[in-house]
Amino acid sequence: MDQYIEYLPVIIPLFIIQIILSITAVIHVIRHPNYRFGKKQVWIPVVLFIGFIGPFIYFIFGRGDD
Amino acid sequence: MNILTIENLSKSFGDNLVIDQMSFSVPKGSIFGFIGKNGSGKTTTMKMILGLLKPSRGTIEVCGERVKYGQTDTNRFIGYLPDVPEFYNYMTAYEYLKLCGEITGLSKKTIKDRRIELLGLVGLDHNNKRIGTFSRGMKQRLGIAQALLHEPKLLICDEPTSALDPIGRKEILDILATVRGKTTVIFSTHILSDVERICDHIGILHHGKIILSGTMQEIKKYYHQDSCLIEFSNIHDRDRFLQATTIENLESSTTTDRICVILKSQALKRMMQEIMSEMIRLDIVPVKIEILDPTLENLFLEVVK
Amino acid sequence: MRPYIVFTKKELIEYGRTYKFFILFTIFIALGFMNPLTAKFMPKILESFMPEGIEIQLPPPSSLDSWAQFFKNVTQTGLFVAIIIFSGMMSREYEKGTLVNMITKGLPRQTVILSKFTASTLLWTLSYWTCFLITHIYTMYFWKGETVLELATSTLFLYLFGIMLISVLLIGSTLFKNSYGGLLFTEGFIAILFLLKLSHKIDNYNPLQLANQNINLLSGNLHPSKLKSPLFVCCTVIILSIISSILIFDKKQI
Repeated sequence: MDQYIEYLPVIIPLFIIQIILSITAVIHVIRHPNYRFGKKQVWIPVVLFIGFIGPFIYFIFGRGDD
Repeated sequence: MNILTIENLSKSFGDNLVIDQMSFSVPKGSIFGFIGKNGSGKTTTMKMILGLLKPSRGTIEVCGERVKYGQTDTNRFIGYLPDVPEFYNYMTAYEYLKLCGEITGLSKKTIKDRRIELLGLVGLDHNNKRIGTFSRGMKQRLGIAQALLHEPKLLICDEPTSALDPIGRKEILDILATVRGKTTVIFSTHILSDVERICDHIGILHHGKIILSGTMQEIKKYYHQDSCLIEFSNIHDRDRFLQATTIENLESSTTTDRICVILKSQALKRMMQEIMSEMIRLDIVPVKIEILDPTLENLFLEVVK
Repeated sequence: MRPYIVFTKKELIEYGRTYKFFILFTIFIALGFMNPLTAKFMPKILESFMPEGIEIQLPPPSSLDSWAQFFKNVTQTGLFVAIIIFSGMMSREYEKGTLVNMITKGLPRQTVILSKFTASTLLWTLSYWTCFLITHIYTMYFWKGETVLELATSTLFLYLFGIMLISVLLIGSTLFKNSYGGLLFTEGFIAILFLLKLSHKIDNYNPLQLANQNINLLSGNLHPSKLKSPLFVCCTVIILSIISSILIFDKKQI
């Protein structure tokens, strides 16, 4: 385990960014339930569990107009 | 003085001649109803006035300056409301008007004052929602507000009421009526009741030409003739009827459209008597005989025949 | 000048409120952290793939590996994301008809193009250099005392290559009413650059070198002066792209 302590200064911020991305996306998915395609039940797991790609795909392709 | 003068304007898309040698002018201060059927070339004409389309031939002058395609200085005189206005959905009405004002080059103070005034006029004050959430009528009203922002001399509205419900239509017409006198308005439509409600000048567009234009009063007076529409059951009957000497001798203008005939006369009673006696003599039973009211609708139907 | 500033501001607001900037920026930040981390972990990952009993001696990772990750990730992931995000810059406005109002309000047509270019380049600049800064800080932290050659020149080259792609994308997006048109146009351009690699003579001028010779610059295998011609071509393409976008848009029916 000790050998990983060295990497914490990188892993922690990376983890935080991932959380920020996912949470922003989830909030948007719930508050704007009109999407270009897909359903809420699909988008929530997508933005939560598919790393950086999920929120990216949601915001760029899946998000409906306001 | 004329705000807008169009001379010999033509526009074709490929082989399709949409506007054919059109000429008309719009006097200052009028509300000009630009009437035509769908696809008669209303939007095309408006886009050429705005310099968004290049005319094939002819000239357009706005406030005495010639309109050039692409670089359109004349647009500073014009406020434009497209048929389906599209705004940036992520902005609020307030922000959008600010953007428009800044682009037009109005001072900060003017923008602020005009924004408050116009949003009040169109009933969108105290609305902080983004435009994306607006209904069609609200967008149309915002469209009028943005078009009036720089106090244009000429306001061009393309079918402003066509897509709206009766309440929305009334709201738009009321707003347009309030700018009467301050701004010249050109307003295209195929809804003739709207024209009768607020327009004082009209131009009727048909097959790319203005076939009738003038003030509403003049036109109604000029066309205030009693006319009678007769619908026959077949063309044979119609022709026999028209060839009858009494009918040919009637002092009237006649328009025919397949099985329908419209007869006009200053002396309605005499004309009706002659028509009916002639029908009895020829043994023709018409489908319909109708005395036409001189409404704009009848006028329109008559001139576009 | 005022319409230019106003419309550029509008563009930036748009990127902000449609979450495009947020996505671009966070992905570049994430890449910034991932570059040194991947470089550090790479030997361990490779080891784990080796069958048991076979020992291979991998040299310990160096700061050069971290920068290799930077150039690989920025060209493959970063530029890809950026191009997708910027791909609708003009076509989205055509599709919706939102420019009609702006143009009839007296916004000069070339201002539209210049503002679009400025705003997207600004976003690219901010994202790219933030990513660079993060990688730089962590590379210094993990590999204390190690230095590489020509870091500034090398990163600047890739930065300019990115601007060139944005400018090419701008032509594509101005030409086509559909966002995918601009995307395909840019992909076609990149494909041509790759094809030109086949000919040695032309490759000396190929701006693609600005994006794939970076490591050779850092390790000292290549002197920056060798890339003068690609640099010149790259800048020319940027300027020509902006000019032709303006000319195309002048003739465009909106």
